[in-house]
Amino acid sequence: MVTARFADFISLNSQAHGMNLRYSYPPHPVAFVPREVIHGYIDGNDPITGQPLMQELVDALTLPLTEQENAPVIVRKPRHGRLLPADTEENLNRLFLENAWTDGLPIVLPTEERVAEMLTGTDHDPQEVVGRMSVTTHEERLDYTVELVAVNAIMAGCRPEHLPVVLALAASKQASMPSSTTTFISMMVVNGPVRNEIGMNCSSGALSPFNFANSVIGRAWTLLSINLGGAKIAENFTASTGNGVNYNNMCCGENEELSIWEPFHVQKGFKANESTVSLFRGWTVIGFGDGHAGRMAEVMKNVGMAGATFIVDPLAAKNLKNEGFKTKQELASYLAENAKPEIPRPRMPTADNIDFVVVGGEWNPFWMTTDFHYTHTFAIDKWIPKSGIRKDPRPLRMPAAINCSEGVCGLPGIPH
Amino acid sequence: MAKKKETLLTVLDPRGQPSGIFGQCLTPESSPGDIQDPLAQPTGEVRPVRMAPRLDSLDGKTIYLVETGFAGAYDFLQEIQDWFSSNMPSVKTVLRRKQGSMFTNDPPLWDEIKEKGDGAILGVGG
Repeated sequence: MVTARFADFISLNSQAHGMNLRYSYPPHPVAFVPREVIHGYIDGNDPITGQPLMQELVDALTLPLTEQENAPVIVRKPRHGRLLPADTEENLNRLFLENAWTDGLPIVLPTEERVAEMLTGTDHDPQEVVGRMSVTTHEERLDYTVELVAVNAIMAGCRPEHLPVVLALAASKQASMPSSTTTFISMMVVNGPVRNEIGMNCSSGALSPFNFANSVIGRAWTLLSINLGGAKIAENFTASTGNGVNYNNMCCGENEELSIWEPFHVQKGFKANESTVSLFRGWTVIGFGDGHAGRMAEVMKNVGMAGATFIVDPLAAKNLKNEGFKTKQELASYLAENAKPEIPRPRMPTADNIDFVVVGGEWNPFWMTTDFHYTHTFAIDKWIPKSGIRKDPRPLRMPAAINCSEGVCGLPGIPH
Repeated sequence: MAKKKETLLTVLDPRGQPSGIFGQCLTPESSPGDIQDPLAQPTGEVRPVRMAPRLDSLDGKTIYLVETGFAGAYDFLQEIQDWFSSNMPSVKTVLRRKQGSMFTNDPPLWDEIKEKGDGAILGVGG
């Protein structure tokens, strides 16, 4: 049994898996509705077939299998060509929108010339398979090459200098907005020298739309998820409300220069001079927090978080160090102990599930709380050309965020 | 005035290609975080699966009602169990929760159903 809201999806999905299962569809939803409503569903009809639900279930168990049911076949998705039919710019923009190959915002059309230029951003063969992705756990994965990643990077507005980061994202095989009726959101944090080489913002407003690299790379992950992960609204993207974070995926760099803790990627086993992108996933962002570690524990406890990723302004990190937490690990252990609910739950907070990234420009010692689960960190360097990041003669840069100058910000007893 | 001829552009199709590789259910030992981590999720090719032969009738049969882990499903299956008690009392129903989550496999339960049951209703996905 599957609720009627998923009838189309289940039908297609079964065929793709070579199964002709007999489904019955009670009305949707059955979750979070009063018991008497469910009772009514049992006595009522399947809204898809119009037949009494319980008789349908009995029939599903007792009516002989049909010829078709006895000979299930796998219905495969067809492959498509590399190029689309030539058309005008206006018509092609319409085609991309109407096929939902975009996020609804204007795109840069991936002409052959632009793709060739984008591919100068890496030494890898354009036809090299980078990975396969799906926004669901069970659907058919889609294969993609370096060239297809470049196509989506162009659409997002990227330049060749951004391609190595986008390729590292694609190599993660991780979609930024997986299928769920809950609304998953993702975050990507870049560490290492590449942040500064491509002009990423790790400082003031790093998570806001004031930086070219942060904006287009974050958007590229969304387009990868749509076109390489196969996300389709109402087919397999079933988020009840959705979330604006899905547009950009909180793309930023860690402010290693102002952080008093070791960089996030070093914490995960990489060298400080390696460039990486770390990925996080969850549902919740609580945008404002201030004060001591006890307040962090209170927020986790109140929201019922079993894990968390805190986005910490460098000043807040210094405050926390002043409070006695010399390392992120010490702080995580404290929070795991103090965020425990009075009534035990199946998933209790553990230090392993609590992470910190230092982002911000020291306007104030604030932190953000998320329920994000850290998944993996991926190497960027392998995608960078041997000759180095391929920059434009005049790299495109928006006005840079200003870091606090020496002696102006900071806290007593903690060196800047 | 003659209409200016518009330039035609050739662009690449942005979509990935079907791979023939599908996601598979997680093992019972999987960590809760694996569902958020595609690198921790098993994948493989799929083969057509035939359904088991149907029963002649449900009289005197044992039907397992398997709750697969979605919210509201257990209450729903309890209502189905009540319906069988009231309307088809000769049917014995066994209500069970699948171990793990909606994403995990439960081979011991499938073995139990094969040994002790005559049929099964799984649900409710939603």
